[in-house]
Amino acid sequence: MIFGNASRTVAIGCAVLILITCIINNRCEGPAPHTGFKIVSLSPAMTENIFALGAAQDLVGVTTFCDYPEEAKKIYKIGDFSNPSLERIVSLKPDLVIVNLPEQMRIKRQLEKLNINIFTSSPRTLDDIYNEIIEIGRIVKKQQAADSLVNYMKMHISRVDKPVLPVPKYIEGNAVEGSSKKRVYIELSPRPLVTIGAPSFLNELLEMAGAENIFADLGKDYPVVPQEEVIKRNPDVIIVLHPVSIKDRMGWQTVTAIKNNKVYTTLNQDHLMRPGPRLIIGFAQLKRIMDE
Amino acid sequence: MSKYILISLVFLGAVFLSIIIGPAELTIDILQLRISRVILAIFAGGILAFCGGILQGLFGNPLVEPYTLGSASGAALGGSVGMLLFGTISPLFAFLGALGVGFFVFTIARIEGGLLRDRLILAGVVMSFLCSSLVMVIMVLGGRELYEILYLLMGYLGVVITSANRSMIIAMIVVSGILLIYLYRYYRELDIISQGMETAAGLGIDIQKLSIIIFLTTALLIGITVSIVGAIGFVGLIVPHISKLIFGPKHLKNLPGSFLLGATFLLLADTIARVITVYELPVGVVTSLVGVPFFIYLYRKR
Repeated sequence: MIFGNASRTVAIGCAVLILITCIINNRCEGPAPHTGFKIVSLSPAMTENIFALGAAQDLVGVTTFCDYPEEAKKIYKIGDFSNPSLERIVSLKPDLVIVNLPEQMRIKRQLEKLNINIFTSSPRTLDDIYNEIIEIGRIVKKQQAADSLVNYMKMHISRVDKPVLPVPKYIEGNAVEGSSKKRVYIELSPRPLVTIGAPSFLNELLEMAGAENIFADLGKDYPVVPQEEVIKRNPDVIIVLHPVSIKDRMGWQTVTAIKNNKVYTTLNQDHLMRPGPRLIIGFAQLKRIMDE
Repeated sequence: MSKYILISLVFLGAVFLSIIIGPAELTIDILQLRISRVILAIFAGGILAFCGGILQGLFGNPLVEPYTLGSASGAALGGSVGMLLFGTISPLFAFLGALGVGFFVFTIARIEGGLLRDRLILAGVVMSFLCSSLVMVIMVLGGRELYEILYLLMGYLGVVITSANRSMIIAMIVVSGILLIYLYRYYRELDIISQGMETAAGLGIDIQKLSIIIFLTTALLIGITVSIVGAIGFVGLIVPHISKLIFGPKHLKNLPGSFLLGATFLLLADTIARVITVYELPVGVVTSLVGVPFFIYLYRKR
């Protein structure tokens, strides 16, 4: 026998691997040919924004996370949000790549080395979101659409002006309905408990809706918090953005929100977490909750 | 005996500290939470250290522990798969993962009539690597649940207890207790094996059979532990060594010692984790941050 048993196994193994790679590779269709300005968006929110501006024809590549509007799902996928494929992006020969920071720092560096134009999206505040829309509007030559989108958003996302007077002496603030700001706890994940801190537009939305984030003092955007801390801070309202029920948690039964049945589970995470036009819907829902 | 009294006092002190120290005022609800957390810490720390001790005794290798044998990584992998399919970490999946990888390692190391002990460790380490890679793949696929996997891999004692998982956790603790007692019954055999394989075989101990029993039972225990509190590292590796320093080489004494010390160590690590920041830190971070310097000090002193 020319080959030993082991080397034959290795050779067959390699052949199988190569075969599998070929099959997988063939299954991935290439992108449709495209002329004109070409954008690859690695940010689901910016994909929504570009659709809203009526410049969807410029999008040649998006991530698998770009699932709204429905048409976005049909655009060529260059990977997911945390792991976009550099090779696929480059193969599209884009005129502009929209990256999201801080999550996509690595791919941004790689693209910079290749001298590809980059648009950086990392909105921390509502103003950042508006500025980015205006800027991308300028790039895709839809300034007017961008202006009107931003104005529309500003009109619908505006501070609820309820005068918040100081609570008079000898009256406990929370005992009187509507006498003080509702204190809200937003839960993004049940294990571990992930919520939102101050440096986030969702925190800003909450404040504009007339509420107070119980973890607004934390300087991280998505802090992991202990149960005890939530119970101690005793929120009036709990907004759950994951599918797991929180009703019968041990030790939570004295929390005001749970006692008063103020736990909201039906909100769509994308309406609150994605810095795009649909924030309007999320904000309207927040306002409704605060008015209840 | 006086050593036991001393260590038990330290253990009780650790329990007391973890109950009184914390960010919130001690009300009935908070007390309930802290007690359940203390129980989880005792359960996890004790089991990890006990299993580490018994495996180190069996294989005569100071590096052996649940993690180097693949069960812990297997459990983490199972948990991640469950999370991908159902959105939350399913204890059943973590448990199946530990058992599945345990069986795999066991099959690789199996020869006619028993196990090759060297190959068992090698297979365990190899499978650990494989599982870690697969967990990474799942992290990529799951994307948003990155936090969950991170805390699954580093250990998380702040598990939210609901009526849905409470009875299951209690059942698992009871089962674990029975399994621990079952394993402890082999202390004499382990002592003899530590003296040398030939002696043990000469005295009529079926080493292969014993290896299989201990290997499968610990895989089961680790599967249960990881499914509830995640993969807390370091305890299973280091605590048995400390226990041997204090209680000597006899397994009759050092195995319960490992359990007590493991529980104490995890309780203290968790108390520190809860006090140093407002955030919930994965307890595995603290176990190595605190444990490594302590261990180096202890060994340098000797």
